[in-house]
Amino acid sequence: MSHAASGEGIGQPIRRREDMRLITGKGQFSDDMNLPGQTYAVFLRAPHAHARIGAIDTAAALKMPGVLAVLTGKDLLADGLKPIPHTPLLAHPAEIIPENTDGTPVFTAPHYPLATDKVRFVGEAVAIVVATSIAAAKDGAEAIAIDYEPLPAVTDTVAAAAPDAPQLWDQHSNVALDARLGDAAATAAAFKRAAHVVKFKTWVQRITGVPMEPRAALSEYDPQTKRYMLHAGSGGAVRLKNDLATVLGVPSDDVRVLMYDVGGNFGTRGMIYPEFAAVAWAARRVGKPVKWLCERHEAFLCDYQGRDLAVEAELALDRDGTFLAMRGSNIGNAGAHTTNFSPLQKGVEIASSIYRMPAADFRARAVLSNTAPTRPYRSAGRPEVMYVMERLIDLACRDFGFDRVEIRRRNLIAPSELPYTNPFGMTYDSGHYREVMDRALKEGDWDGFPARRAEARARGKYRGIAVANYVDTATGQPRERTDITIRRDGVIDVVIGTVSNGQGHETTFAQCINEWFAVPVDKVNIITHDTDIVKVGGGTHSGRGMRLASYVMKIASDEIVEKGKRIAAHLLQAKPAEIDFTDGHFRVTGSNRSVGLFEVAAAALDQSDLPGELRGPLTATCDKVVKEAAFPYGAHVCEVEIDPVMGNVEIVKYTTVDDVGRAVNPMIIHGQTHGGIAQGVGQALLEHCAYNAADGQLMSGSFMDYAMPRADDFPFFDTFISEVPMPSHPLGIRPAGEGGTCPALAVTVNAIVDALADLGVRHVEMPATPERIWRAINGKKDVSIAKAEG
Amino acid sequence: MPVVTMTVNGEARSAEVEGRTLLVEFLRNHLGLTGTHVGCDTTQCGCCTVHVNGVAIKSCTALAVALDGAAVTTIEGLAQNGKLHPMQEAFREHHALQCGFCTPGMIMSAIDMVRRNGHALDERTVRKQLEGNICRCTGYHNIVTAVQAGAAAMKGQ
Repeated sequence: MSHAASGEGIGQPIRRREDMRLITGKGQFSDDMNLPGQTYAVFLRAPHAHARIGAIDTAAALKMPGVLAVLTGKDLLADGLKPIPHTPLLAHPAEIIPENTDGTPVFTAPHYPLATDKVRFVGEAVAIVVATSIAAAKDGAEAIAIDYEPLPAVTDTVAAAAPDAPQLWDQHSNVALDARLGDAAATAAAFKRAAHVVKFKTWVQRITGVPMEPRAALSEYDPQTKRYMLHAGSGGAVRLKNDLATVLGVPSDDVRVLMYDVGGNFGTRGMIYPEFAAVAWAARRVGKPVKWLCERHEAFLCDYQGRDLAVEAELALDRDGTFLAMRGSNIGNAGAHTTNFSPLQKGVEIASSIYRMPAADFRARAVLSNTAPTRPYRSAGRPEVMYVMERLIDLACRDFGFDRVEIRRRNLIAPSELPYTNPFGMTYDSGHYREVMDRALKEGDWDGFPARRAEARARGKYRGIAVANYVDTATGQPRERTDITIRRDGVIDVVIGTVSNGQGHETTFAQCINEWFAVPVDKVNIITHDTDIVKVGGGTHSGRGMRLASYVMKIASDEIVEKGKRIAAHLLQAKPAEIDFTDGHFRVTGSNRSVGLFEVAAAALDQSDLPGELRGPLTATCDKVVKEAAFPYGAHVCEVEIDPVMGNVEIVKYTTVDDVGRAVNPMIIHGQTHGGIAQGVGQALLEHCAYNAADGQLMSGSFMDYAMPRADDFPFFDTFISEVPMPSHPLGIRPAGEGGTCPALAVTVNAIVDALADLGVRHVEMPATPERIWRAINGKKDVSIAKAEG
Repeated sequence: MPVVTMTVNGEARSAEVEGRTLLVEFLRNHLGLTGTHVGCDTTQCGCCTVHVNGVAIKSCTALAVALDGAAVTTIEGLAQNGKLHPMQEAFREHHALQCGFCTPGMIMSAIDMVRRNGHALDERTVRKQLEGNICRCTGYHNIVTAVQAGAAAMKGQ
């Protein structure tokens, strides 16, 4: 069957292979796994945001019925466990690495799976209790007595950076990184000659990823082989294996990580969690399998959280609205551990977005605070800075009378200027920025808006519209590997180091294989779930799943075709140069002699008359470091309608054009965009990890307190795909997973402010709740804004 | 410990359970029906939705012993003779799932929505009545489409 006839190749919106099991209840999520004789773990968590740990009395807990073990940080140190190996800054070759301006190294602190000296945020794990049931383990945890010496705590981002703030780590101030990027002198000169300067101060609030599947772990230790098995959903199996081995202090081959279905990630699940290591360690200590399920309230407390960036920014423009320079300060709140500063890094390096910006000067600080650690969440860092840039533009238009579309057209980088190096040093490779924005304006019926606004106003409602552009630098782990094997039974095995967390890799990766080998998608095995098979791979994050998988799969597939041609030449008694490979068959050019792919694979296994190097399984490996970043970009148009009495916002129309280079499965890409929009709009309107500043308690610890987007918060979205191939990718593919989120914060808030402009509203902080909007309309002081503005 | 008996997906199933055992624990841990998921601890996410005597409930908020003798349908029991339920088929056809964790609860809720409102579901009704089911992946766009399509397809059943 030819791939053209099958209709399953690249570009086809085929239905997903993974769905059949997921819609019939046969998915295999982490909590669905069980082992004979398993025991259950519960973690005792810190009730204080900041406290020194004194004596821990576990005697009563150990006497509780069913309790098998109670382990603390002291036990962990005695057993020689190591801290979690964090690399807070991305070292990808295309990344700009911020450095401390004073030349000192970036501060990293030891992050043990259980707190050893102090607790530094509410919910930090202090002890693990293993028992014969969850209920027994909970009873045991309640019986542990700990002497805490509470210490002053700080949760606010700006406050944590102050010199007199409560200090989390004795060996270093809270400011773990203090860098400066750009050209200060050129920027100062540009501001001096500017006709206009607009300023914006904001806080991109902290939110959390909330994958619907709570974390879970099941671990077993085999004393015979001295190997640990961990079954736990994550963003990458190989990294989890290696990190777990590091914490346990064993060679990485002594750890096996398994995962099948993973119920969402969005960055939240992107790396090892303290509990995973503690569960594996406990399994060895008790000599039985140990299972742990994170309850939702625990997930709110101690899942890695996202965003939380305090910004002060200024934009300088000339008389015509041409951008001259930007400057400012970004403070990223890392939480209690030096887990990950890449949102700060990945934000500031593209703070000027896809606009021509001759100069820039930004200070970038990562600060520690008594809050859950943060790490990348859906397009780490970029939605934050796109929000700031697009707000600056709309504020400039309002203050100085520029047209919101014309000013963007004037300043967007033109195709003839690409590749373009922005003032922070990041080089964008390609794109038709203006064309994409114009298409979004057309699809969003920008020109028809005044009539809709007038119609709404007649009904007593306030309508607003906005457009926002974005660029999303995708880097992440640069190395990926695949092993592709053509099996004689008509199946192709593809071993690869990514993990699907809902992106549909079993379908889309198989579509690539179908395109190249004309094999039905159902005959392609995508193997990602077991580190005893998958030895190398960077997982799924930073738009690297399809981008890097297709990259290495294409190279390995080409190698198989070349090898197959040489085998076919033997079988068909021709020269390799005379063999073509089309529609799954090797053919002698200009003749009707041919042999199928799987016959060639069988011959390689069976025929002893083949040259030695052609004998054996028909297989190829590609293990590659991809040094280039990828640059998806696009434009969104959002239209809102606000009830001025209640302050409710209704999104009435949301239009997107996202350039994905080449769409492997448009159906899946549209789905990614829908979900991305919802996560961005969720931040703009609803979500907030709220900490009580006085005592550091989390106030948004359940779905009753944390406002998750619901179905009635959205309209149907109008999503469009642009395909301008990316030059550095063999298939032209740009990532498609983060575009939905990147400009969504900006375009939603800009639409709200546009709606309320006639009422004198200049800005509404996120989340733009009905209360905040009501206060903005009615001139009441917004306590939250006051706090953000210092 | 009490013994609980229910008709689950058309079969009589019994197990000895603790009094505090929730219906979802009975289904997942005692019967091995792991298609019903637990996504929260406050009865908001809807991942655990099943049908009890033909009506959707959240199985994380019902005691198994209180449902002795009930007829329960879970996601595993929807397909008949190897044929998907129209609502399952609609979710697949309209790409209404990504990670798939909320999906069983969504499908069970959607079927009950049809029972309550009939086959011609307008967008607003679907969006309002999905209040008790949270999805983080899809932005609900394709779920709403699938529920409307599935509702229409159920008409001929």
